[in-house]
Amino acid sequence: MPELGLIIEVVLIFIKVYIVGMILFMLPLPLTWLERKVAGRIQVRLGPHRVGPKGLLQPFADMVKLLLKEDIIPDKADRFLFKLAPLLAMIPAFAVFVAIPVGDTFTIPGIDYVFKLYISDMNVGVLYVLAIGGLGIYGIIFGGWASNSKYSLLGGLRSAAQMISYEVALSFAAIGVVMMSNSLSLVEIVKSQGGGFWNWNLFYLPVGPVWFLIFFIASLAEINRIPFDLPEDEGTLGSGFHTEYSGMRFSFFMLAEYIAMVTISVLAVVFFFGGWMPPIDPATFGIKVPAQIMSVWGIGWFIAKVVVFIYIFMWIRFTLPRYRYDQLMTIGWKILIPVSLITVLVTGLMRIFLT
Amino acid sequence: MSEKCKAKLINFVKKSVFADFIRGLYITFSYNFEGAMTLKYPDSEKWIPYRRFRGLHTLNKNSEGKELCVACELCSRACPTDCITVIPEENDAGRGIADRVAKVWEVDLTRCMFCGYCEDACPTTAVRLGREYELACTTLERGTRSRDELLLPQPVPEALTGGVVAKARFIRSADGIKVVAELGKVRQRKL
Repeated sequence: MPELGLIIEVVLIFIKVYIVGMILFMLPLPLTWLERKVAGRIQVRLGPHRVGPKGLLQPFADMVKLLLKEDIIPDKADRFLFKLAPLLAMIPAFAVFVAIPVGDTFTIPGIDYVFKLYISDMNVGVLYVLAIGGLGIYGIIFGGWASNSKYSLLGGLRSAAQMISYEVALSFAAIGVVMMSNSLSLVEIVKSQGGGFWNWNLFYLPVGPVWFLIFFIASLAEINRIPFDLPEDEGTLGSGFHTEYSGMRFSFFMLAEYIAMVTISVLAVVFFFGGWMPPIDPATFGIKVPAQIMSVWGIGWFIAKVVVFIYIFMWIRFTLPRYRYDQLMTIGWKILIPVSLITVLVTGLMRIFLT
Repeated sequence: MSEKCKAKLINFVKKSVFADFIRGLYITFSYNFEGAMTLKYPDSEKWIPYRRFRGLHTLNKNSEGKELCVACELCSRACPTDCITVIPEENDAGRGIADRVAKVWEVDLTRCMFCGYCEDACPTTAVRLGREYELACTTLERGTRSRDELLLPQPVPEALTGGVVAKARFIRSADGIKVVAELGKVRQRKL
């Protein structure tokens, strides 16, 4: 018979996983609405506004439409891989969130129980996130291959090449963060940025902003968003790897894409914008605030920062045109990787001589 | 440093601080505050066209209330699609400006292409293309409009210049869908 404390821990972990999973499943609903509204705003039109007040029920209408659509599997498709691909795209996107902290701890007053605001604090969190996040590419490649359509295959190929090129730069950016924060654990990375916005990795001058830009550009490419959305280039490829998908299978791909966007926003916040740390910490001015209030306040800041990032991703999407394939490769190999190598060197020297 | 070198350097600096990129983002962000230029037709707004608009035909009367049409059938002859039917009759009761009036004046809107040749042909300015443009209907009979209906006064008076967006009500009836404009409440179109 194990101890009661252990059982409670395990049950709590299950509950946390369930809650996070449900939130992630529901997130694409507001995000599609937001994306279309942002698109409308930027293009001087209204966006969805007929279903429900301000079009808020539009995602539900879309969901019903997708559920009712016929689930088509092309005749000569590889049936097993075709069915597997959407799941392979979706599961890693969810699994990444195991390592993501939304806050530090919350001490429940009265019973003094320390509730952790993350599912697991891995000591190799950064590595885990990058590795699992990179697995999502299998879904795209399999989807492209199994559809037995040239457009899908080309989309899958492009996606594979793009992922390989930009995974390098993204990993370098992560290395930079690890060097600046001196830890691989995401919780530790955030804690190292506490105390005020001048301690954030973004303001680790002069290399912080450079790391951020490398991370930002590489992650845009990783999550296949404009200006790097070549795998689903509707102008030349139909819609790329999901050309042949319909109904729920298609929506799984969409789900994975939106969650990937959230993941990257969260990572950007954790790596460079101090996670749940408020920009100005009352403790630096000697004001005492109860720890419980601080952790709730911190979650608010975390969500606010993530929302800003999601908005920036959408904003960029409706501002920039798509890069050509060779330009994409040039940016990846000839610019981002050399720049990140130099920045690794500079960061390393700074760590040695300045601390 | 030569001019060419200078230009290259400036270009490099601009590129490395993402100058054009930021300008693009600034422009798209500023559109957020412009408001939509969407015309909410047919929900709550309707476009009032200019006078030159060629919509549904109207048959006009003079200031004494007499029909201007003398049933000369010139409109029918001028019509490239043969959609106007005119049958004349004699009438001394003073219905029209002459003793010859139209017994039947019908236009088949399913064939009409709103070219305006009937207007040009008309010697008494009786037939004019008006500003009514909601002509969709559920039955084929509604595709033909006859004299009695076309003689009715226009929903948009001639005095109004048009070229504005008016508040409107959306009405669904057996005759089809109508959007009735409230001419008092108008706004300029955003450009």
